[in-house]
Amino acid sequence: MLRERLIAALGSDAVKTEPEDLAVYSFDAYTDGGRPVAVVLPKSTQEVSAVVKIARDCGEPIVARGAGTGLCGGAVPTAGGVIVSLMRMNRILELDLRNRRVRVQPGLMNLDLSRQVAPEGLFYAPDPSSQQISTIGGNIATNAGGPHCLSYGTTVNHVLGLEVVDDAGEVFVTSIEDAGYDLTAALVGSEGTLGLVTSAWLRLLALPEAVRVWVAAFDGMDAASEAVSAIIAAGIVPTALEMMDAVIIGAVEAAFHAGYPTDAAALLLVESAGFEEDVAASEEAIHAIVKQHGAHYWKSAHTLAERNALWAGRKGAAGATGRIAPNYYTQDVCVPRSKLPQALRAVEAAARINRITVGNVFHAGDGNLHPLLMYDKSDARQVAAVVETGNVILESAIELGGTISGEHGIGWEKRDAMTRVYSTADLAVMGRVRDVFDPRRMLNPEKIFPSGARCPEVTPP
Amino acid sequence: MKAPSDSVAPKTAAEAGEILARCDRAGEKVSIVGGATLRGMGFPPERSDINLSTKRLSGVVANEQADLTVAARAGTPIQSLTALLSTQGQFIPFDAPRPQYATVGGTLAAGWLGPRRHLYGRLRDYLIGSTIVLADGTIARAGGMVVKNVSGYDMSRFYVGSFGTLGIIVQANFKTVPLPKHARLFLARLPERTRARVCAQLQTLPMRPAAAFWIDGFHKAVDGDDGAEGRVAVLLEGSEMLLERATRELRSALGRAGVPETRVLDAGARESFQRVVDAYVACLGERSVTYRIASLPHSCEPNAQRANELARRFEMRAETIVDVLNGDIIVRVSDLDARALGAKIEAFDDALHEIEPRAQVIASDHPNRIYLRVWGESPPAIAQMQALKARFDPNRTLNPGRFVGGI
Ligand SMILES: Cc1cc2nc3c(=O)[nH]c(=O)nc-3n(C[C@H](O)[C@H](O)[C@H](O)COP(=O)(O)OP(=O)(O)OC[C@H]3O[C@@H](n4cnc5c(N)ncnc54)[C@H](O)[C@@H]3O)c2cc1C
Ligand SMILES: Cc1cc2nc3c(=O)[nH]c(=O)nc-3n(C[C@H](O)[C@H](O)[C@H](O)COP(=O)(O)OP(=O)(O)OC[C@H]3O[C@@H](n4cnc5c(N)ncnc54)[C@H](O)[C@@H]3O)c2cc1C
Repeated sequence: MLRERLIAALGSDAVKTEPEDLAVYSFDAYTDGGRPVAVVLPKSTQEVSAVVKIARDCGEPIVARGAGTGLCGGAVPTAGGVIVSLMRMNRILELDLRNRRVRVQPGLMNLDLSRQVAPEGLFYAPDPSSQQISTIGGNIATNAGGPHCLSYGTTVNHVLGLEVVDDAGEVFVTSIEDAGYDLTAALVGSEGTLGLVTSAWLRLLALPEAVRVWVAAFDGMDAASEAVSAIIAAGIVPTALEMMDAVIIGAVEAAFHAGYPTDAAALLLVESAGFEEDVAASEEAIHAIVKQHGAHYWKSAHTLAERNALWAGRKGAAGATGRIAPNYYTQDVCVPRSKLPQALRAVEAAARINRITVGNVFHAGDGNLHPLLMYDKSDARQVAAVVETGNVILESAIELGGTISGEHGIGWEKRDAMTRVYSTADLAVMGRVRDVFDPRRMLNPEKIFPSGARCPEVTPP
Repeated sequence: MKAPSDSVAPKTAAEAGEILARCDRAGEKVSIVGGATLRGMGFPPERSDINLSTKRLSGVVANEQADLTVAARAGTPIQSLTALLSTQGQFIPFDAPRPQYATVGGTLAAGWLGPRRHLYGRLRDYLIGSTIVLADGTIARAGGMVVKNVSGYDMSRFYVGSFGTLGIIVQANFKTVPLPKHARLFLARLPERTRARVCAQLQTLPMRPAAAFWIDGFHKAVDGDDGAEGRVAVLLEGSEMLLERATRELRSALGRAGVPETRVLDAGARESFQRVVDAYVACLGERSVTYRIASLPHSCEPNAQRANELARRFEMRAETIVDVLNGDIIVRVSDLDARALGAKIEAFDDALHEIEPRAQVIASDHPNRIYLRVWGESPPAIAQMQALKARFDPNRTLNPGRFVGGI
């Protein structure tokens, strides 16, 4: 019945129900779990709307899905239902150069957008490390960050308005210029639980005239993280300020020969972009600070090729760990920036006690840690140790005044940790927003909200 | 409209919660008052039994200088927070009118959109955490003191611009950015024939100014020579070297557009900029109404001309501040006295909304203000907004009727 109606609405080519097809949609980059009853690939807002109405009639939950690169189980159909893949809606709809904005469909790859507007001297600022393989819709739903969010801000700063299909299959639009409540702000980061984004107006920025990338190497993680705090405290906000430890440096050099000094215990990758005058001044100031903090190596990349080489190491870091262990788990926590040294010591201690190899490669300028915990999935001891290490890191971030996710989101993985940072009252207030957009809890159920939480006020319509 | 019978000024979130819970049960309506600087924005509440002032909910509660974060209670005046941050070489682009009175909570609740946002981003994007008290007395926190946080819905940003109709913001946590070391203000006469060209030049400058206005009227409120031809004011911010280059580029761009000569103000540049922002909400006694028309940058020039012509057709004086980089148009229409204005303003309001459906009234002390379409046409998602109001404040205890669509 469901299948027939979906095929009638979208055509058989856009509806998948064979077990082998469904299996492909049962996981993201974090985990797998659950099987959808159907996967649909709509090509237009109208088709998304039709699918939602049909699924609703049949009592099936709806899970929006972009590229499935999420790291918290957000797009995993833990409660079954219909997966709506937005991958066929991948076009730029309107490019308004004079006002530097663009309207895109949600399935467009992040990097494709920047590539397509580059000839006009523009770019789209949020740049998750997954930008070659993740979608704008997924980025919006997770309020994705990235190395350059240090100065440009995360996705929410760049979304001007949305077109959304609600739980009843009705379409509504939001704009940050509209009078009334800022629905755009509520929807960005809502991980598919308030509606399906079917198009978005995004802000574009002018490509900077000058860009420079520097690498500084240190003898210890403490020294490097203190240098990070000192740079920020000195009132310098580079466009990116990333850190890597010896494990990552070794893996990256073996894989890419990015040109990092292999004897370093810690490395800072710093980028400054803007006007020639400012970039040159930043170079001087940053160089002085890192030297004060014991940097024994400094390299400055001027040409595009040199810069790309240094960045390639950073962007490919996660993949490069394949040489160390077959699997890795990325924890994502954020602490106040001056707490970086303590947070990193806690990561180190947790990994040591649990006998897990950890590699740190992260957005240091934001205080956003990404310890990669390396393990072998087939070894039960290691799996248990990784889970335990991840939890300890989470707890220590909370103790340092931090949060349980800086950019990857809560999804399925961290929903029970929500009670560690929010009271029941805090969560119930989020529940009030959910009541308005998804009163029946059919949009991406079992995500964000803790498993025990039932909003007592909900009255099914 | 009944005068408020009672005034309260809670000292803590818990006290505010008790007051609200009591009022909510008793069916009493509560008006939230911050600095009262934006009292001419929005409708007055349908009914107000209690005025709840945030003046005792004031002060900075956390100031992590090295982290570039700060947390302040709602009643903290913008100016005192800005002054504290500037001693630390930091700032938040509040850009609120009359910052000596305007409060952190009121500026957030009003969703105030400052002229420097095209460069530094919106105020909402500096908000990293909040505490709010809802109508039923619930005290809820969101976010925290970290600069990146994706943990559930972004409630803090959601409260920005809610005009005190969802709850009382009692605390706001912000990230800050380094304060640009230097500021410079440019002033020049702007002959009418050069306007379109000047706007285009300003919008395509390689070094974006922090703010750029074309101003007509508003004399006394704004520095510089006044005249029928108006003037242009541009604020540059940055390092000394950057300002030198930006100055050269700006001079030649204005020259190309036909602007004869410019005056440069280094001392007091930011103060002069602040006076332009103050002018946004300055009323001429009861004989003026000020509108904000949100346009796109490339259409703000013709749209402003159109609004001015309309005012002239109604034989009213029109004064304009056009924020060239964001596309905001501020139009203050006035007449000889309150009576003369009262005779025309409703017809003008209708005519203006014919051409600019989203025009909003942002300042007026005229009694007929309440008959105008102060929020412009309702936004497309008004039904969702009304449902949110019903879910957050089902008894309509907070600022009832003050907001768009009867919220
Ligand atoms: C190697 C690697 C590096 C990464 N680096 C970063 C990084 O630097 N910064 C960062 O923030 N993340 C990073 N991520 C995580 C991930 O790429 C982001 O969360 C990304 O935004 C997910 O996009 P997606 O298209 O893959 O979405 P999916 O994984 O398909 O979905 C993610 C969530 O969004 C929802 N969703 C998707 N599309 C829509 C839509 N159109 N409407 C409503 N809801 C929708 C889903 O239901 C789900 O809850 C990384 C992941 C990998 C594998
Ligand atoms: C009976 C009555 C008659 C009125 N008549 C007029 C009139 O004729 N003309 C006129 O112009 N105005 C009128 N008003 C509007 C009145 O001036 C405003 O309601 C009140 O002064 C709000 O002050 P203020 O806080 O604007 O200041 P701001 O601090 O500028 O606040 C702006 C908005 O934010 C809200 N707010 C402030 N602080 C917070 C906070 N911490 N949390 C949440 N929300 C907050 C306010 O309620 C207001 O909606 C009337 C009000 C009443 C009660």
